[in-house]
Amino acid sequence: MGPKKLKSVSYAKYGYIFSIPFVLAFLIFTAYPIFYTAVIGFTDLKGLGKTDFKFLENPLQNFEAVWKNPSFQKSLENTAIIWICNFIPQILLALLLTAWFTNQRQKLRCQGAFKVLFYMPNIITAATIAILFNTLFGYPMGPVNDLFQMLGIADGPTEFLRDKWTAKGIISFIQFWMWYGQTMIVLIAGVLGINPALFEAAEIDGATSRQVFFHITLPSLRTIMLFTLVTSLIGGMQMFDIPKLFLNGGPDSATLTVSVFIYNQAFSGSYLYNRAAAASMILFVIIAILSGILFYLLRDKDAGKLKKQMRELKKPRRQQGGQRHET
Amino acid sequence: MKRILALVLSVAMLFTLAIGISGCGGNEQTPASPDSSAPAQQTSSAPADTSTPAPEVSDDPSVKVLNVWSFTDEVPRMLEKYKEIYKQRTGQDFPFEIKSTIIATTDGAYQPALDQALASGGADAPDIYCVEAAFVLKYTQGDAANYAAAYKELGIDVDRLLKESEIAQYTVDIGTRPSDGKLVGLGYQATGGAFIYRRSIAKDVWGTDDPAVIKDKIGPGWEKFFQAAEDVKNKGYAMLSSDGDLWNPVRTSAEKPWIVDGKLYIDPAREAFFDYAKRLKDNGLHNDTTAWTDSWYADMKDAGPKKVFGFFGPAWLINYVMAGNSGGSKPGEGTYGDWAICEAPVGFFWGGTWVLANKDTKIPKTVGQIIEWITLDNSETGLQYFWANGTLEGPGGTKDTVASGAVMKKSDGKLDFLAGQNMFDVFVPAGEFARGDNMTQYDETINNYFTDQVREYVNGNKTKEQAIADFKQLVADNLDVIVE
Repeated sequence: MGPKKLKSVSYAKYGYIFSIPFVLAFLIFTAYPIFYTAVIGFTDLKGLGKTDFKFLENPLQNFEAVWKNPSFQKSLENTAIIWICNFIPQILLALLLTAWFTNQRQKLRCQGAFKVLFYMPNIITAATIAILFNTLFGYPMGPVNDLFQMLGIADGPTEFLRDKWTAKGIISFIQFWMWYGQTMIVLIAGVLGINPALFEAAEIDGATSRQVFFHITLPSLRTIMLFTLVTSLIGGMQMFDIPKLFLNGGPDSATLTVSVFIYNQAFSGSYLYNRAAAASMILFVIIAILSGILFYLLRDKDAGKLKKQMRELKKPRRQQGGQRHET
Repeated sequence: MKRILALVLSVAMLFTLAIGISGCGGNEQTPASPDSSAPAQQTSSAPADTSTPAPEVSDDPSVKVLNVWSFTDEVPRMLEKYKEIYKQRTGQDFPFEIKSTIIATTDGAYQPALDQALASGGADAPDIYCVEAAFVLKYTQGDAANYAAAYKELGIDVDRLLKESEIAQYTVDIGTRPSDGKLVGLGYQATGGAFIYRRSIAKDVWGTDDPAVIKDKIGPGWEKFFQAAEDVKNKGYAMLSSDGDLWNPVRTSAEKPWIVDGKLYIDPAREAFFDYAKRLKDNGLHNDTTAWTDSWYADMKDAGPKKVFGFFGPAWLINYVMAGNSGGSKPGEGTYGDWAICEAPVGFFWGGTWVLANKDTKIPKTVGQIIEWITLDNSETGLQYFWANGTLEGPGGTKDTVASGAVMKKSDGKLDFLAGQNMFDVFVPAGEFARGDNMTQYDETINNYFTDQVREYVNGNKTKEQAIADFKQLVADNLDVIVE
């Protein structure tokens, strides 16, 4: 009998088969639209219902038009301001809550209930929240105005939503309020993933809660923080629903975000699909660059150092070895 | 293994290519067909256009669903009535299932959704769709006009019915597609506007609530209106609730549209709104609300800081907005019954719904019959007769002005809300002021930019020059319009 080849059962092919639906859906609904958007940014495609287009003589014409567009510049600025004003308080509060919820010494009761409560705003649809806040800050009569006058903070009604910074602030607050629960859940999951031996050791060594948090929890959370930061950045740069539904970019374009700008270009008025596509691509590049910067800033510096040291250690040894060999 | 992977991927790519190509092909056909087929049809039917009746059309028997797109539930509710009428007239049940898609126009959500539905076609594409005055021109004369079917091609005898029903001319003007001169849309309402004022306040200020007298106190012209506003203010009332109330008559009384020869044009009548709005605010002549907010509704039942003398609006504002917010439902309750209407200082119209049909509808006969019943039928079982007399859902409903003069002549416009005044006396002539030649398809977007800048100026955040410059910049940034 010759050596019979062992028939191995390959399970891998099932993996490929099962992934076909996803690959198909991805190619049709994600890859193709992205490719199409990238292409029409270089064309003259505009006007409702048109699908025929030709490439522009100056392929970057749309990109230049968008980049120099004062509304686009303003929308970039607004998006950055609103995102920063929402992210800093959001991460701070989420960290504080994480510290409390994961504290080994003071085991909080009803943790589950609190987590659900904090997560709740994220479940409500954006449209509801936008209308809710619009009504709350109604002028000349609205709950907030009534409250301010009752407490004697203001003499007469204030038109909150006419003030640019108030409008921006409210949108930042809504974003903060909707997302801190989500961030907190992610951070708690991160803390639970830290080796408990570290905490026990710290406890035995007599570290205070504060020391444990700053010297063990925070450094170990770095990758999770990076994840939170990058996903929040991407989501924040694409912020659309709340600014659109709350004040439709107003007052005086104070809450016009890049996505609302893109929407306005494409769908409200002249159907400038080409300019909207160019603006989308610019936004994509900006997000990619910022994410890259974040990855670089928050890279694991110790690991990098360690690698370097290892390399340096190896180098002289090899040289020494060579020398030894010569002698 | 690699071979299998390669196979899977190439099959996947083939699939996407095939779908992509067929998808593109389908999309390309939709816009192309009107361009290529419309002229052909036109040449064959143009000579006969004025004399011969509409062609015979028939439905595709395999279609069982009638899709209706609207921004309110008005037309879907009319269709419920149509089912009854259909049974009365033919003795059979209405053979289609009516599928309504209702998307509010707030925040401009309706148009993009409708545009997508029209552009992508298929079985779920609208057969009948409604468009509002603010953006009707886009669908009858502008970018989306090629999606609309000419009424005549739905088997409607347009020329005869327009005359018989005495349809308000401005609704015809707006609904006529310039590229081929065919009627593609008509309304069922006439929305000429009046000044709707409080009888008790008029008596307190001028000693009478007679519309013939008040008409001369508040107009004609804005100067007299502001004088009257001072009188009203001196008695401790507010003339208007919001500056937006003034914007509607100012906006539609402009000579020329926002865009003339592809360039932005600010009509002096519209530019004057800067000063009017400022004057209202600085002199405390209004309650400084915003239309369609809680404070605005509150002013209709005296729940605001000052009682409000009046609102500008057409009949629908009275029936669908003010009556419900008056704090009562019969005379003596709230402000109900304490209102009257008189001619506005300038002629204007506000709103209205135009009903259009998709040129790709598979059931043109049924769609044509429904549209005829809604827009052109002047019989006592036609929609407009029910609509004018408020009997669509049984007696005692809300009455409204309709597009057909013939229908209004045989209808009764007395309203308890107006203490028995016959509203048709004021609204029928007001409809003659209404004009459709000062609108563009971009009006909704441009009006939003304009009023936003006016409010920046009124609130002292900007000078008027700066506000106008910023308005121009916004238009230049966001629309394909030349701004100088």
